[in-house]
Amino acid sequence: MAFLAHGPYRIRYELDGPSGAPAYVLVNGLTQYAELWTAYRDALIGRGFRVATFDLLGQGESDKPTLFISQDDQVAALHLLICELGDGPVFLSGISFGGLIALRYATAHGQRLSGLVPMSCFAELPPQLFLLGNALRAGLILGGTSYLQDLLLPMNVSDAWLAPVLDRLDAVKRQGWLVNDVYALQNLMESFLEFKPLTQQLPAIGIPTMILNGEFDFLTPRALHDTLRIQIPNSSLVIIPRAYHAFTLEKPALTADLLARFADDVLAERWQGNKAVWIAPEEAGGDLVPFPDGYDHLRAIPVRRATP
Amino acid sequence: MSKFLGPLDLDGRVPPQQQTRVSAFLISAHGALGRRFALSLPMRLESAWQTELNAQLYNEAEIVSLLMRATSWAPDLALGYLAASWEIAWFPGPTEGLSDHALAAAVDVATLAHAVHAGIRPAALLPVEANANDPFVMALRRVEFESGRLLQAQIMFLKGDSLVPFRDGVSAVLERRHLQVRKLWRDMLQSLGIADGTEIEAKP
Repeated sequence: MAFLAHGPYRIRYELDGPSGAPAYVLVNGLTQYAELWTAYRDALIGRGFRVATFDLLGQGESDKPTLFISQDDQVAALHLLICELGDGPVFLSGISFGGLIALRYATAHGQRLSGLVPMSCFAELPPQLFLLGNALRAGLILGGTSYLQDLLLPMNVSDAWLAPVLDRLDAVKRQGWLVNDVYALQNLMESFLEFKPLTQQLPAIGIPTMILNGEFDFLTPRALHDTLRIQIPNSSLVIIPRAYHAFTLEKPALTADLLARFADDVLAERWQGNKAVWIAPEEAGGDLVPFPDGYDHLRAIPVRRATP
Repeated sequence: MSKFLGPLDLDGRVPPQQQTRVSAFLISAHGALGRRFALSLPMRLESAWQTELNAQLYNEAEIVSLLMRATSWAPDLALGYLAASWEIAWFPGPTEGLSDHALAAAVDVATLAHAVHAGIRPAALLPVEANANDPFVMALRRVEFESGRLLQAQIMFLKGDSLVPFRDGVSAVLERRHLQVRKLWRDMLQSLGIADGTEIEAKP
């Protein structure tokens, strides 16, 4: 187990794969921990990448500041990790809260990145997400980490994923409950109290960007991802079929394949974002297909896009 | 060194020696908080926040009472020395930068309470196989759950507007209290052959 020092705090990280290879850095969601990327680490190393995973400040085995955790500190800690990777190509991806940190990193240090993959992500806090965030925070305060997990699981994964584990949900939740503390999760959530939208900074992200959004993600719905697509010049939006907010947990083989293909395309200079909208395949290795021309990808029913 | 209490007996119960030392530590810490809250509480409440203080006092008393009754106590020759060292640690500590004595005293007790409520997670010591119907197991879960709720009063106070001018100093005092309380907790667990989860791997 290795640690980086950010001021008085230690950031626990892990580097795997060949040291000279292009690297993927994976950033956890708010209630997550680095081991949840194990399937990605194995898949991406198998595709020739080096993989960096870590616990954010306040998570898992990293230090947990007692009172305040700023998102600027998370970006600074991420920068320390990326500096550990040398001069080779670096691809950065993060899920949800981690996607936001990745976006913030790209606006500040985009020149160091070869590509960016925000997943289940947002640059703004519109009323629904703001109120959901407040309710989740109240749930954490009143019912602890376990209750927060109880709220998040049915919102963020599908029936197909939940059904086989329904009789052992405690075991599914246990590691996250063990390694994450109420006060630290609360501090992470309260780092949004001073949140300012990133939207106006997004056009400065000049690197290739693949935005991933679950088809049924209602925590961070399509419109939030579309803001990223519209504002980031060299971006594409890829919709993951039948997926919810936490599709990285539910569909690791497909998502890891998409990450590897994106990086391969960027490195081979084949990537063209064009602010296009795509539909991912159901399984790893399948073809991406363009969203049907003329239809509105922000609707849940097939409605033709209004002509300007 | 194990991460969890045990080995459990055939009924899924934690060994009495471990119950004794863990409960003694928790009673010492929560008892000290109860005493500090009792001394801070006026006979007649004058401010809204004192209603929370009243609730905290009785919640701490409930934790102490619960552990006294739910624990299978066993003789422990080291307990006298250990308890004395714990009690000394709960004494008021320095709060640099706060010249207002009343505010400094409030910050001191709040930082101690934050460290105990946030940093001590007794339920995380329970192995999966622990008997959920055992009183000690239930008590540890309840102490951790209630600590998470009690903690909110300390968070609101320590993050509140009244301490904004002293934020760095308060954060430093709080970090110091956390380190102190965690070390006592970790040392106590190590004396039972248990490694606190976050300390299993040696950090550089």
